[in-house]
Amino acid sequence: MAPLELIIELVLMPLVAFIVGLMMVLMMRRIAAKLQRRVGPPFFQPLYDIVKLHGKRTQVSHGMIHDIGIVMAMGGYIAAETLLPVPGMNGIAEKGGIITLLYLMMIPSLGLALGVGQCANPNGSIGIARALTAMLAYDIPLVIVVFGVAYAAGTTNLVEIIATQQAGGFETWGAVQMPLLAIAGLIAMHASLGKQPFEIYIAPAEIATGPMVEMGGKYLGGLFVMQSFQLYTTSVLYVSLFLGGGTTWFDFLLKSFLVLAIPVSIAYLFPRYRTEDLLRLMWKWPVMLGLIGIAFVM
Amino acid sequence: MTLTLLDELLLFSGVTVLVALFLGRRLPAGWMVTILYGIQLLSLLKMAPLGYGGDPIPSTLILEVMGQTLSWRFDALSWYFALITLGSALLSSWYACGEWEQRFRQAGGNVWLFHLAMALNVFSMLILLASGDLLSLFIGWELVSWAGFLLMAMAGGVATRAAMRYITYAMVGAMAIFGGIALVYVSAGSLQYDAILTAVSQMGTPHLWMLVILFSAGFGIKMGLMPFHLWQAPAYAETPGPGSAFLGAISSRMGLFAILLVLVKLFGIVNIESLKIPFTLIDARDLLAWIAVFTIIFPTFTAMKQNDARELLAWHGIGQGGYMLLGLVVADAMGAAGGLLHVFNHATYQAALFMAVTAVIHRTGTSDLNKLGGLVVRMPLSFMVLLVGIIGLAGLPPMNGFVSKWLVYRSLLNEGMPLLFVAAVIGTLGTILSVYKLIHNIFLGQLRVEHEHIKEAPWSMMIPMLILAAIIFITGLLPGIPLAWVASVQEAVGLSVPNYTLGGVESASGSLDMIWVIGVLFAGFGIGALVFYSAGKSKRVHQLDNYAGGHFLTADIRYQYSDNFYAGLMHLIGGWYRGSFLWLEKSVKSLVEFLSLGMQGIYRRANAEFYLLSTALFVIAWVVI
Amino acid sequence: MNSMVVLPLVLPLFGAFLLPIIMRASVGVGLWVGPAILLYGCWILGNQWISGTAMPFSLAIGGFAPPMGINLYVDSLALLFALAVQLLGLIFWPFKLDPETARRQALMLLLVAASTGLALSGDLFNLYVFYELVAVATFGLISASSTGSAYAATIRYLILSGIGSVLTLLGIALIYSQTGTLNLAHLAQLAPEQLNNKLGLTAFLSILIGVGVKAELFPVNTWVPEVYATAASRVSAFLAGLVSKLALLIILRLLVLIFHQQEAIQVMLFLGILGVVSGELAAWRAKDMRRMLAFSSIGQLGMIFIALSIPDQAGLLAVLALSFHHLLVKSGLFMLADGWGGAIENLRGAAKRSPLAAIVFILFSLSLIGMPPLPGFWAKFTLITELAAQTSPLYLIGLAVFLLATVIEAAYLFRLAALLYRPVSEEKPIDTIPKPAGVSLVSASLFGVGLLAAALFITPVGELLNHVAGQAANAELYIDTVLAGTGGGR
Repeated sequence: MAPLELIIELVLMPLVAFIVGLMMVLMMRRIAAKLQRRVGPPFFQPLYDIVKLHGKRTQVSHGMIHDIGIVMAMGGYIAAETLLPVPGMNGIAEKGGIITLLYLMMIPSLGLALGVGQCANPNGSIGIARALTAMLAYDIPLVIVVFGVAYAAGTTNLVEIIATQQAGGFETWGAVQMPLLAIAGLIAMHASLGKQPFEIYIAPAEIATGPMVEMGGKYLGGLFVMQSFQLYTTSVLYVSLFLGGGTTWFDFLLKSFLVLAIPVSIAYLFPRYRTEDLLRLMWKWPVMLGLIGIAFVM
Repeated sequence: MTLTLLDELLLFSGVTVLVALFLGRRLPAGWMVTILYGIQLLSLLKMAPLGYGGDPIPSTLILEVMGQTLSWRFDALSWYFALITLGSALLSSWYACGEWEQRFRQAGGNVWLFHLAMALNVFSMLILLASGDLLSLFIGWELVSWAGFLLMAMAGGVATRAAMRYITYAMVGAMAIFGGIALVYVSAGSLQYDAILTAVSQMGTPHLWMLVILFSAGFGIKMGLMPFHLWQAPAYAETPGPGSAFLGAISSRMGLFAILLVLVKLFGIVNIESLKIPFTLIDARDLLAWIAVFTIIFPTFTAMKQNDARELLAWHGIGQGGYMLLGLVVADAMGAAGGLLHVFNHATYQAALFMAVTAVIHRTGTSDLNKLGGLVVRMPLSFMVLLVGIIGLAGLPPMNGFVSKWLVYRSLLNEGMPLLFVAAVIGTLGTILSVYKLIHNIFLGQLRVEHEHIKEAPWSMMIPMLILAAIIFITGLLPGIPLAWVASVQEAVGLSVPNYTLGGVESASGSLDMIWVIGVLFAGFGIGALVFYSAGKSKRVHQLDNYAGGHFLTADIRYQYSDNFYAGLMHLIGGWYRGSFLWLEKSVKSLVEFLSLGMQGIYRRANAEFYLLSTALFVIAWVVI
Repeated sequence: MNSMVVLPLVLPLFGAFLLPIIMRASVGVGLWVGPAILLYGCWILGNQWISGTAMPFSLAIGGFAPPMGINLYVDSLALLFALAVQLLGLIFWPFKLDPETARRQALMLLLVAASTGLALSGDLFNLYVFYELVAVATFGLISASSTGSAYAATIRYLILSGIGSVLTLLGIALIYSQTGTLNLAHLAQLAPEQLNNKLGLTAFLSILIGVGVKAELFPVNTWVPEVYATAASRVSAFLAGLVSKLALLIILRLLVLIFHQQEAIQVMLFLGILGVVSGELAAWRAKDMRRMLAFSSIGQLGMIFIALSIPDQAGLLAVLALSFHHLLVKSGLFMLADGWGGAIENLRGAAKRSPLAAIVFILFSLSLIGMPPLPGFWAKFTLITELAAQTSPLYLIGLAVFLLATVIEAAYLFRLAALLYRPVSEEKPIDTIPKPAGVSLVSASLFGVGLLAAALFITPVGELLNHVAGQAANAELYIDTVLAGTGGGR
């Protein structure tokens, strides 16, 4: 591949992710509004929010690490997007593979955790402790799922995983071949988004929005950007693993939005779990499904 | 007689011991010893061809004792471990020189003994690594054990108790090995490696089982493998600062070295795999792999509950050993490379972590995670080193720990071992939780009033830490550098070699190129920074200018979350910490105590002649019947 | 020249009888008599060692040739033990000046004479006589410390020893009734036909148990802890170090020459294993340094019995190596216990008071545990390779027990070592901590130096012991030497 082409891809992939992510945020809000019989925000509202937050005059910093944490939270996802193939663009997906991608996706959380840590607010620290606990909860089914898929495909290369699924049409999709893993993956993915009923680390009523407690202005704006990246990454990853990725931009985006719509719709119907209940839930059903799914794969 | 390079190295090492012994009470002794470690390292680097597939270098010293031939030589395996040993010794010793040493002396510590113990440890480790037959291996092994004991016990008090526990475990291990050696000797007729190699191929299954159990238990004890892991954390944590950095970096890896040498090279993984456990689907290799995995999980989750920074790190040291063994027993090209590479990576970040924590102790006087906090503003460089270290420990990009763990995961995936894979990942996740607690409770959160005026660690301590941090990052960026050494180790012990590049590994089933991954990561950070810093300028506020539900915070209010850090998690798994192994250890001790009491009872009897006569009668009756 | 060998046996005997008289005449002269005799003995035996270790010889006493007359049998094993007796007699010489000096020194000379006789004697009855003499001398020496508990311990020892002697005598009588001779060489000739039966076995086992009292064989060793704990350390050292080994020597000779039954060996192996288990376990809880050493000594002797149950050259090499190692180390440790006797708790911080003693203690402990490259390691190495080579499962059990016992040994020895280095408690002045007396410390250090020298020259020492073991294991050589009269005694 020509270096110039690669560089263009590396620039475009995060950019696409950002735009699609913003649209996903919009979709999420619209769905919430529909369920609650509201009108919902206008199309450009997410963008307005980001611009507004970055433009605020009062920007409260709790120190260097607070700033760097936000930079890491955004930067980590920007890097992760280049490992996630989209139609026509593979970026450096072949140089990392899915395990690397999963680990790279932890960098933003680590950055956030560091940033929140320096805020010296116990609410934030408790939020992070809960977020990390939640990560321990949903990552176990998630890696089971990833193992199953990668083992079935015989590779950790996402490009090839997608290619094998596309080779035989609908029948070779991961979701058809490995339905149990797909279900487990969906649950784990939902939890990883940190939406209700799994929003234990935001919990506004208990810990004053946890990690966000000391965040304002561009700090909150950074987190907003992080969230849109997160929505994008999670749903695209799921699409790549189970729904055959995208051959064209149209079906790629369609699948991604549909996948995301499921957890988001569920999210607004449920109250919040307790931390240990989340753990118990995550370690029971998706793990069981995932392991049975792997048994079928092997 | 001309001295070989190995002779030279051992000679320098011996000289270091002598210098520490006789000149160690003088003031600049620490620097002298450090320089001598540097010379040893140079002398080791002269043997660098070993790391790139060179021929083994023998020592001219060959002893004939009681009909046994003892010889010493260095091959790629020895060289690789010696490099880590000397590197960590050099940096730990450097770290100890200067201010740390002065403080240690003021606190009543014996600096002379410290340097001597370090020098003895290094010397004995080199002897072990150089061993050219099973007997010299055992001699080296014992020397290492007792030298380690000296270093662990020297702090007195709690440390001595921990060291006593260590030496009891170590003796159990040594005796298991001793017994194994006797069995090997009987079947091979010699303790030379060649003879053993031929003997192993003709050995019966029960015999091989016996040997595998004896040797893996014996060597495993030093690695802190389950269920022999209890001794390690207290022993390492209580060793004086730089000593614990050194021990944590390399000491228990000697067990891995011996496992590589005996179980992998001499016995062969194939032979171990052929040992099936009846009525189950698993064989001896799976058994080892599961032991490795439990060694990852349990100590890691024990670490999470520690409230002392050094204990926390020491427990993680045990857990990380599990990854090394896991990679090794999977034994395909990637897994073995991962396991071996992890030895190097672990040494670098573990030493850096212990040093950073010691720096904190040096300034604040405590490593209690509930009595620190917010130090990042006072000790930013130490924070950075600790951050680099924990990213390495947790195995996240961009640090070197990621590469080795990636290789291990990949091999488990390739070999189709889902449960082991998941278990290994659980260990990593637990590590992430635990290390966040470490960095949060020390460096983040609220700065305590009494720490408001402390200074950054002195440069004598800072420079070795920074060097280590640089190594952690560079070998994460360019894992090909250590992978080249690892590849020659793999060749030396008869394992297949992965197709490595400067930036990682090429493989048909998924490659890794860290140069690209780290490149985009930092590019991403750059863009993030651009976005972030181009927005409105932020204003730095005091830490007490904080949301507190409407209350005003003052300096005497502790506004920090540190205790029972993962409360939600502990609600669920807290009940699983039953201390079963402690209970087991205690019950063994009680059993010995009980038997001992009984035996003393026998000897306390006054009617001794009764024994005599009854024995005589019994024996004669036995003969007649 | 060869006949000079009699002197180290006869001179101390005369000395023992004359010493009280000389003492009465002149204390100054009397004090020098004993050491002089022993030095002379050392010199003679040393000369003999240098000039003629290659060939063993037999020395007929009283002009009748064996098997009719009594004879001394001098091979390198016997010489080695005789030399060790004289040397240790010198090192443990009771210098202390008090009203009991004459008695104590006379008893010591008697002990040396009897022990030398035991080492050299080539005749079962003489062995028995010397054995009894040793017993008498030791009773006297133990009770010489004149405390109540010492007397109690002595009486216990006396009774056990007495019954043991009776059993031994019974065994000898059985042998005599069957064969009509007590000459070892002659017996060795007759044994395959006449003693390879139940009677012979019974005879051997009675002797084993009888002699076992002194060799600290389980379970007839219950006297050991009390006696060692109450007797003077020098006496304990001599008993634990040497007398036990001499009793072993009797059994060794009997095994090599006369009794080859499997059952005999099995009983010994079994009792040896029990000895190791009971001794080491009991030592684990001992609260008194001397008792600890006593129990440890039982354990060590158990190990030697295990080694003795492999009566070929390699097994004998292990026996010799373990014996001489134990001799060096245990003697040294008992010398340290001279000042450090009593409750272990009192020893806290003793390293500060006497650093040298602590280092010597650690050296001995390390060697006892078998830390390479100290001699203890090589001794244990020869034993375990031998044990592993045996096919019978009992030997493998022995191996396992041996290894586990070593762990326990390490635990209790190093618990004490750690205690020595514990910081002294504040209110306790440093000079109240016990400290080994100068002379004891010097002799302990001497043993330490010996140990280090052995470690340094392990190759020649190993070869030497192997040579000795080879000679000792060769029954034909023994028979030929004694009966063919090739050795020039006349």
